[in-house]
Amino acid sequence: MITFATISFLGLPLLAILLLNVVSKKTGGAISISVGYVVAIIQMIAAVVCMALLWMHGKDFIEFSLFWDMNATLGAAKLSVDLFSLVVLFCIGMVSLASLLTAKKTIGEKTLNYTNLLMVIMLGMNGIAVVTDLFSLYVFLEITGIASFVLIALLNDKRGLEGAFKYLVMSAIASALILGSFALIFTQTGSLVYGDVAKALADWRNAQYAPLLIVGFVMFIAGFSIKAGIAPFHGWLPDAYQSAPASVSVLLGGIVTKMAGVYALIRVLNSVFVAMPMINNTLLILGLISIVFGAVAACGQKDFKRILAYSSISQIGYIILGVASGSLLGFVGAMLHFFNHATFKTTLFVNSAAVEMQTGTTDIDQLGGLQARMPVTAVSSILAFLSMAGIPPLAGFWSKLLIIIAVWQSVSAVGGGIALAASIFTAAYFLILQRKVFFGPLEDHLTEVTEAKGTISLAAVLLSIVTVAFGVLFPVILNFLHLQGIL
Amino acid sequence: MQQFFIVLCLVLMVVAGGAAVMLRSMLKSTISLGVASALLAAVLFLLGAFWAAIFELSVCSGLITVVFVSAVSLTNSDRKDEEHVKEHRARVAALPAILIFAGASLLFILFSHDFNIVISSTPASFAAFKEALWSLRQSDILGQIIAILAGTFAVIVLFKERDNI
Repeated sequence: MITFATISFLGLPLLAILLLNVVSKKTGGAISISVGYVVAIIQMIAAVVCMALLWMHGKDFIEFSLFWDMNATLGAAKLSVDLFSLVVLFCIGMVSLASLLTAKKTIGEKTLNYTNLLMVIMLGMNGIAVVTDLFSLYVFLEITGIASFVLIALLNDKRGLEGAFKYLVMSAIASALILGSFALIFTQTGSLVYGDVAKALADWRNAQYAPLLIVGFVMFIAGFSIKAGIAPFHGWLPDAYQSAPASVSVLLGGIVTKMAGVYALIRVLNSVFVAMPMINNTLLILGLISIVFGAVAACGQKDFKRILAYSSISQIGYIILGVASGSLLGFVGAMLHFFNHATFKTTLFVNSAAVEMQTGTTDIDQLGGLQARMPVTAVSSILAFLSMAGIPPLAGFWSKLLIIIAVWQSVSAVGGGIALAASIFTAAYFLILQRKVFFGPLEDHLTEVTEAKGTISLAAVLLSIVTVAFGVLFPVILNFLHLQGIL
Repeated sequence: MQQFFIVLCLVLMVVAGGAAVMLRSMLKSTISLGVASALLAAVLFLLGAFWAAIFELSVCSGLITVVFVSAVSLTNSDRKDEEHVKEHRARVAALPAILIFAGASLLFILFSHDFNIVISSTPASFAAFKEALWSLRQSDILGQIIAILAGTFAVIVLFKERDNI
C-alpha cells in the first residue's frame, strides 16, 4: 500500500513530466494528452483500490513515507491517506480526465505545455491531499497556485493575462495570511505536524499567548476563504474562471479551488483546530453568506461561465455549512457534496466549453434554442443543474439533504432554513440559463451550429452517468457507511 | 567568533541587497539577490535555525534565482541608451553612502553594550542539517522539485513562447 500510494499519487505525474520532456517536442505534443489520460485514470483506480484496502484492513487511515522509511524518525512529517483524502484524490483524477478530454478539442497547439502544467497541478493537489504538516501544506498550496496562474494565462491573450494577474494578486495575499498564521501557530506550539499542533492547542485558552493564537486563527480563516472563493472573499474567482481557457475553467471550477481552499481548510480545521469551537460559528456565518450571495449574484449574470463561477461560490457555501455543523453527519454531507460538486460543476464547465467552441461565445444573450442543435450538451447540462439544485434522486439532493439536516439538528434551524430557501435561487439561475441558452427559438446566427462531438461530448456523458448513478445508488452507499460505523 | 561571522554575513547581505537594487543589468541584479539570500541562509544556520536556513538556501537562493535568470535571459530587456546609462550612474553614486550607513549601523549594533545575538543552544552541525533535510522534511524535498518544475514551465509559457509569437 505504501509503495502503491506513493507511486500512484506522486510518482506517476512526475514520471509523465519526465517522459513528455525527454522525447522531442513534436512527439511530446503528440502523446501528451494520451499520457495525461493514463495518469488520470490510474489515479482514479488507485484511489478506489486504496479505499478497498482501508476497508479490508479495517483502518481509518494509513501513513506512508515518500522516499524512504521515516518510522524511526520522531517528529517527521509523514504522508497519510484516509477516506476523505481518497475521495478527493479520486475527484482530482476524474476532473483532470474531463479537463484533458476538453483540452483535446480546445487547447490547440499548446497541448504539451498544458499537459506539463496539468501534471504539476495534479502533483500540487495530490500533495495537499496527503501531507500531514502545515508547512508542507503551504508548499503544495503554492505549487497549485503557481500552476493555476500560468494555466489561466496559457493562451497569452489579454483577457487571460488579466484574469491570471487578479488571481495572482489575491492568491499572494491569501498565501501571506496563511503563512503568517502557520508561523504564529509554530511559535506558540513548537510544531507544524497536524497531530502535535492539535495536542498543543488542546489547552489553548491557558496558553501564554492565547491572543496571538486567535490572530493566527483569524488570518488562517481569511487566507483560506480567499483561496476557496467564499463570499465576501470571492472577488478574484468570477474573472479567473471566465478568462481562463475552456479546459482550464473545467479544472479550476471542478477541483482546484476546492482543493486549495475548501479541502485544505477542512483538513486543517479537523486536524489542528479541533479544540477551538468558535470556528464553527465563524464558518456557519461565512457559509450562509456564501450560499445566499453566490446564488443571488448568479441570477444577474449574462455570461455562462460567470453564472457557473457565482454558482460555485454558493455551492462551496454548502460544503462549508456542513463542516460548520460540527457533527459527523454534516461532515459526511460536506464530503459527499465535495464529490458531487466536482462532478456536476465539471459537467457544466464542459458544457460551457462545448457551447463556446461551437458558437464562439458564452454570452447568454447571444444564445438560444441550442437544445435542438446540441442535444447531448443540453441534456447533460439539465442533469447537472438538477443535481446542483438538489432535485431527487440525483446526487446533489442527498448531499444537500444531509447538510441541511445536520445544520438543523446540531446548530440552528434558522441556518438550515436559509440553506434550504437558497435552493430556490439555485433553481432560478438554473432556469434563466437553460431558457436563454438551450430553450426557446433558435437564434438566426446559430442555425449552422452542430453538437460538439468527440471527446467533449464523451466527458459530458461520462460525468452525467456518474451524477445519475451516484444519486440512484446513494441509499446503498449510505447503508454501507452505516454498516461500517462511519455514520 | 561566531557573532563576528554573523555580523560579517549581515554586512555582506546588505551590500548584496543594495547591489541588487542599484545594478542596471537585470542578470547581475538577480545574481546579487541570490547571493543576499545565500548569506541570509548562512546567518540563519549560524543562529541555529536549520530548517529556515535550508529553505532560504534552496527556495530563495536556488529556485527563485534560477527562475529569475531564466526569465531575464529569455526576455533580454537590458537597454543601453544614453538616458539609462546616466540613470545607472546616478544610482551607483548612491551606493557607497548606503554601504557606509549600513556598515556603521551594524558595527554599532555589534559593539553596543546591551546587544547580544542569541544563538540557539543546539550546535549548528552537519548532522542536524542532514536530519532536517533528509529525515524530517522529505515531503518538502518533493515540493521543491515540483516548485522548480512549475517555475520552469511558467517561464516557458509566459516568456519563451511569447517571444516566439
